[in-house]
Amino acid sequence: MNRPSEDHNRVHFPILSSELTAALGAIEDMADDTDAVLDSVVRGSPPVIFRAGGPMLKQFDESTASSRKGSQAPTPPRSVVGIGNKVAKPDYSEAKIVLAMVGLPARGKSYLSNKLMRYLKWLEYDVQVFNVGQLRRSRAHHKAQQSGILEDHTSNYFSHNNVEATKLREQLAEDSLEMLIRWLKRGGNVAIHDATNSTRMRRAKISARVAKEKGMSVIFLESICNDPAVIAANVALKVSSGDPDYKDLPREVAERDFLRRIKEYEAVYETITEPHLSYLRITDIGNEVTLSRINGYLQSRIAFYLMNLHVKPRNIFLSRHGESQYNVEGRIGGDSLLSERGLAYAHALPELVRNNIGDAPLIVWTSTLQRTIQTAAELPYPKLTWKSLDELDAGVCDGMTYEEIEQAYPEDFANRDEDKFNYRYRGGESYRDVVVRLEPVIMELERQENILIFGHQAIIRCLYAYFHDLPQADLPYINVPLHTVIKLTPKAYGCDEERYTLPIGAVDTHRPKPGSTISPPDVVPLSTSKREYFGTNVAFGK
Amino acid sequence: MAAPLYTTASGLLFHAGKILILTVGLPARGKTHISRALERYLRWMGVKTQVVSLGDYRRKTLGGAKKLPPDYFTLGEKSPETMALRKMVSDGCEKLIEDFFGAGGQVVIYDANNGSRTTRQALAEKYDKQGIHVIILESVCDNKEIIETNIRNVKISSPDYRGWDPDKAVKDYYERIRDREKSYETVEETTWPFIRIINVGEKIMVNNIRGYLQSRIVFFLMNIHNRPRMIYFARSGQSLIEHSYKADSDLSPAGWEYSERLKEFVVERRAKSLEQNGFDPNDRRLVIWTSTRRRAHHTAWPFLTPTHSTSIPQQLPLVASHLTVPPQSAVARNVVTTDEAGELTETKVTTGSSLKIKVIEKTQMCEINPGVWDGLTPDQARKFYPEEWARFVKDPYAFRAPRAESYHDLSVRLEPILIELEREKEDLLIIGHSSVIRCLLAYLIGLPASEIPAIEIARGDLLEVVPTSYGVHSQAFHFWDGPGRRGEGIDGDGDQEEVGLSRRDETNFYENYAEDTKGKKRMNAVDLGFLSPRIQEGSEEALADGT
Repeated sequence: MNRPSEDHNRVHFPILSSELTAALGAIEDMADDTDAVLDSVVRGSPPVIFRAGGPMLKQFDESTASSRKGSQAPTPPRSVVGIGNKVAKPDYSEAKIVLAMVGLPARGKSYLSNKLMRYLKWLEYDVQVFNVGQLRRSRAHHKAQQSGILEDHTSNYFSHNNVEATKLREQLAEDSLEMLIRWLKRGGNVAIHDATNSTRMRRAKISARVAKEKGMSVIFLESICNDPAVIAANVALKVSSGDPDYKDLPREVAERDFLRRIKEYEAVYETITEPHLSYLRITDIGNEVTLSRINGYLQSRIAFYLMNLHVKPRNIFLSRHGESQYNVEGRIGGDSLLSERGLAYAHALPELVRNNIGDAPLIVWTSTLQRTIQTAAELPYPKLTWKSLDELDAGVCDGMTYEEIEQAYPEDFANRDEDKFNYRYRGGESYRDVVVRLEPVIMELERQENILIFGHQAIIRCLYAYFHDLPQADLPYINVPLHTVIKLTPKAYGCDEERYTLPIGAVDTHRPKPGSTISPPDVVPLSTSKREYFGTNVAFGK
Repeated sequence: MAAPLYTTASGLLFHAGKILILTVGLPARGKTHISRALERYLRWMGVKTQVVSLGDYRRKTLGGAKKLPPDYFTLGEKSPETMALRKMVSDGCEKLIEDFFGAGGQVVIYDANNGSRTTRQALAEKYDKQGIHVIILESVCDNKEIIETNIRNVKISSPDYRGWDPDKAVKDYYERIRDREKSYETVEETTWPFIRIINVGEKIMVNNIRGYLQSRIVFFLMNIHNRPRMIYFARSGQSLIEHSYKADSDLSPAGWEYSERLKEFVVERRAKSLEQNGFDPNDRRLVIWTSTRRRAHHTAWPFLTPTHSTSIPQQLPLVASHLTVPPQSAVARNVVTTDEAGELTETKVTTGSSLKIKVIEKTQMCEINPGVWDGLTPDQARKFYPEEWARFVKDPYAFRAPRAESYHDLSVRLEPILIELEREKEDLLIIGHSSVIRCLLAYLIGLPASEIPAIEIARGDLLEVVPTSYGVHSQAFHFWDGPGRRGEGIDGDGDQEEVGLSRRDETNFYENYAEDTKGKKRMNAVDLGFLSPRIQEGSEEALADGT
């Protein structure tokens, strides 16, 4: 909050203070300097006029620090000088949405919840999934540990004829909803209620409860699956992936029980037809979407995202360009060509890729910078170049080494490490800016099948963080070594990862956060495809 | 129009094949508004799109409603002559559709009532057999107000009702369409993929829609509305170093002066327009979008500060709000806007009325990046990059200087902004850079891509754009002469020579291509009237469409 505390005297343009006149004179002189600098260049490219390393930028800043004096309104923030500044997070405090899932077991509800969570979190919304199954399991687990009483969570528990269990389950769903609302009130943006919510009555309750909260709205997201093969695969995944409900049970028994549980739900299931509810119905993910009463910007973003999902098996390959000449010199940015070793990487790639995907179709994406195009040159696949995949623009620091920046602007240089994600280079970008410009790339990536992306350090970091749901603060420090292909395989609850490092040496361009000993993620390759059965943050909902 | 990321040999994009969108709906339900908006958007994406309007075609070939036989629009038996006329019109439209597809077009939006199930079934089957993907787009309105507004604003301004009392004309129009309502069959069949829009975007139902282009269409339709509003464009004030992107310099003294004049003028102009259009200023607010560049968001600064006057004590407090720019740092707020804002920054003006204003910075709205040409004058760029320079001059839309963005790149970057622009319901002031305003204006007006770099937007002009159902109506108002207005430094009051900055404005040639090349399309206060040639056509006829 800024209160205009000074400078209310109206000084009308063009009555300029002598200070300002002097500043403008200095800029004039600088312009002459520019001509002199450029005139001295006989051939080749001219030097970059406003680079942080040159004399011009500092001189300019010093001369214009007081340019605001010639005007009458209260003084706005002082012009930022130096090489950049920290930028605040966008204000999403007004977005408060409850997204309640609807669907029979094994219809991909948790898959959709997880996907949406990752996407929205990556866009900096505060998102949390409240999974009723997790709450049930963790409470039962807790109870078993405390009192030794094991609750029966076989299909009997899910029968609607079982009055007592039905009551318990109602209670669980309600508790979970209350936890969710509390969380939204504390500042969350999107809360996903991952439960079956299979009856009209249940939905009416949720709708009525949320309506009591000012500024909150609820959307139901129904997932319908008609493909028996997909359901069978979901069931198989459920009973074989270590679900504690089926711990120590033979697979067949577990499967039989789970199918019975589904039957119990089917007996009372009512698809959404309530005309007054906001809902989105997805039939056979990627096939058909019905929207009703979907209003609002974030809501339409969610709908568009869901319309673009598919579940066909595929791989996404991420790689940085081969080692560039700037990498060797330790310079950032630029548009240099590959080094000898970088060219060797480009040459070795076709075999590596072929060994990996055989004859399957593949599309290669590169940035518009020469080093990624050169890296992809020998690959015999269709290629697309994306401006959005260009490296983070380092603005006035482009083409400098970290040592040079540190020397020219020691304080600014240290500031960047304080909050690297939010730091925007002057005349350039922050990591947040990069995330914003990569959003259409992510959307396109969700639609596509096998894709190989040649990007840059910051770009690959952002994409990698999306697929693995890594926190923002760690994102700028993700280690993405050169001459390594990262293979991501999207799974129901995350991604499996493999890494192929070619035995071609390259410089290490990774700068860990000063003062920290490990660079996150400290385990590579990551695998985030395991389902969480108890939840890590939901605890017991006390 | 942003051409797509890539082109294909067939000229069709996104593997979507050819698409025919059949609109379905009663008259005055916003079909034309939706069709035109969608056409504009798809063309911007580079998709070859055409609206075929049955109403327009009939008027062109048969003339206005008065020249038609009396049974042309009524229910029941029709004379053989009338039947022949009607068939001639629909055959003519189908010919237009086929010609467009035949010439490599990808999407046709057939703007007609199509209220009978058998008619649309026959149409859909015919084109489905030709391998064209058919989508039914029904526009339903149960909000009487929307229908009435539509009739009042569009339909009764036709020559049929010239000299009529508006209320009588509306009543007459209702009677004319009543028969149509009786025979109207809403879309219940699920044979074809369909989209139903209720109350122009209030609610949308989508069935069996597959494919990327189709989902883009749905996403777009989810974000449009027809609430009357005004969109203003103004350039950011002059900055200390106009020709450097990297330096991200602050406003010059003239720039600060400009920012205050801009505020005063916008407040004044908007009040007038609100009054002229009969809008209630109390239930509207003004949203300002700027880029994250210093020169742009500082130009919006006066909007966030109280206007001082000697009659008001200087201690007038600013109303607390998170939207007020905090001291010390330039803070970028909503990169993506959050939905439906609550609290607003109140700016007290001396008259005692209150202005509701909100300022949002958007990172996608930064000016075109000049790459290696940053900080160079045209002469210097020509000298150091002769080959690139030649290519740039030849095709400034598509050419990308080393490390730079082309106008095409910029258009692609601005795409999310377009959606937000469509979505915004409040009055909007965009304080932008000339390159960004060019692209947005070209989208709104529907100019071809090649013309984008040459649109001139002078500093000191305020553009007012009012969306109408057939396009937009725009006007420019001149409010300021000063250093940096046209980048020539000669049309000010002479003081700028002393200031010593204005000569350098012309060096910002990459962003200000028009200034440098004496642009082909000058958008002056004088000649900027009706920019869209479509505007006048539509209002000519009461029954704008018919089957």
